[in-house]
Amino acid sequence: MFRSVFGRLLTETGCVLRGVQRRPTHGGVSLRGLSGLKDREQFDLSLLELLVCPLSKKPLRYAAETNELINEELGIAYPIIDGIPNMIPQDARLIQKHTDPSPTPTQV
Amino acid sequence: MAASMRLLFRRGIRLSHRNVNVTAAGAPGQPAGCWEPPSCRCFSEAAGDRSTHFGFETVPETEKAKRVYKVFENVAQKYDTMNDAMSLGVHRLWKDTLLHVMHPQPGVRLLDVAGGTGDISLRFLEYVCFQQERRKRRAARSMQAPSWQDISNNYSTEEEEDGPQESRAVVCDINKEMLRVGKQKADGLGISAGLSWVVGDAEELPFDDDQFDIYTIAFGIRNVTHIDQALQEALRVLKPGGRFMCLEFSKVTNPVLARLYDAYSFQMIPVLGEVIAGDWKSYQYLVESIRKFPDQEDFKGMIEDAGFYSVKYYNLTGGVVALHSGFKL
Repeated sequence: MFRSVFGRLLTETGCVLRGVQRRPTHGGVSLRGLSGLKDREQFDLSLLELLVCPLSKKPLRYAAETNELINEELGIAYPIIDGIPNMIPQDARLIQKHTDPSPTPTQV
Repeated sequence: MAASMRLLFRRGIRLSHRNVNVTAAGAPGQPAGCWEPPSCRCFSEAAGDRSTHFGFETVPETEKAKRVYKVFENVAQKYDTMNDAMSLGVHRLWKDTLLHVMHPQPGVRLLDVAGGTGDISLRFLEYVCFQQERRKRRAARSMQAPSWQDISNNYSTEEEEDGPQESRAVVCDINKEMLRVGKQKADGLGISAGLSWVVGDAEELPFDDDQFDIYTIAFGIRNVTHIDQALQEALRVLKPGGRFMCLEFSKVTNPVLARLYDAYSFQMIPVLGEVIAGDWKSYQYLVESIRKFPDQEDFKGMIEDAGFYSVKYYNLTGGVVALHSGFKL
């Protein structure tokens, strides 16, 4: 774990020193190392404008507690892993309480 | 329940699209499946009955997606290295050509499907940044004897960094491993503004209609089970005036080069795959799937059938790779 943080620190200072034509994100970089959860939220909120349920094409609700994107209508929740939302219907979790007891698809 | 809903939705969409296609082509009430290009599909409604190709093998359609997933899950870590080794670095030129032909302006939204490790999106953001800076330099040069007020304004606007935040690239891939590798790469390069990662199916994109200016799919569409569905989805999510661009391996035009290419593909590439990535079969699949993919003209026909206009293709490296482009009007 420390190694990855150190590694990232080294490559990022390398980038900054080299004066690469990337947008300077040095402010964001140090924050990211410390607060992974905050970073996940940031990703989601801007993506939420674009993402819809692949089945019904309706907008989704972000549930911060379970870190999922929920489609109320169909009663399914798409998980978010490592800040990347998984919008494959087979990987979604059923959250409806009135459906017959069919085995829920495995949540990765 | 989600699965049955999916089938219903799919059927509904497929039927409505088939009707549209039939009327567009003028075919008199024939089932649309008859004149569809070389997928060798028997026209039965049950998805499980249909078979498709996985390289040179014939597999049920339901299995293809799973096997393709496994292939890319296995190769994800070494994907970029293998690309460099197999193409001797030329894949970078192909992707750069895609960007040059695309010529994106700052402020556009890109959807990079089957984006995997994010090569296209990263190049896109770089290109747009570069364009922005070039514009600023041009503006600065054209300003004759600017006042100190103007100069200080210029400095303050630079701080806003609205360029890459306006331009947006969304990388969508069905494979979590590839995205993870890509995200690590981007984080390592320090690029996060304007770049998003989503796990999604090209045949069922999790985006609303008319959202993106540019849709790209680079070396991914031959792995999709239902290419026509992917094309339909591309049409759907693009804004009117949006551009569809596809980089894919295609048929080599020159016969001599074709023989060399075949020899290289079947003798060298799986060996490289075994040596570098420890996976012969995945790279065997790769070279076989290239042979099964329709050629430039056929694919152009498929894109036109999906509803794109002004479809054209550019042959790169003598036809080893073709860049197809179409517009949604």
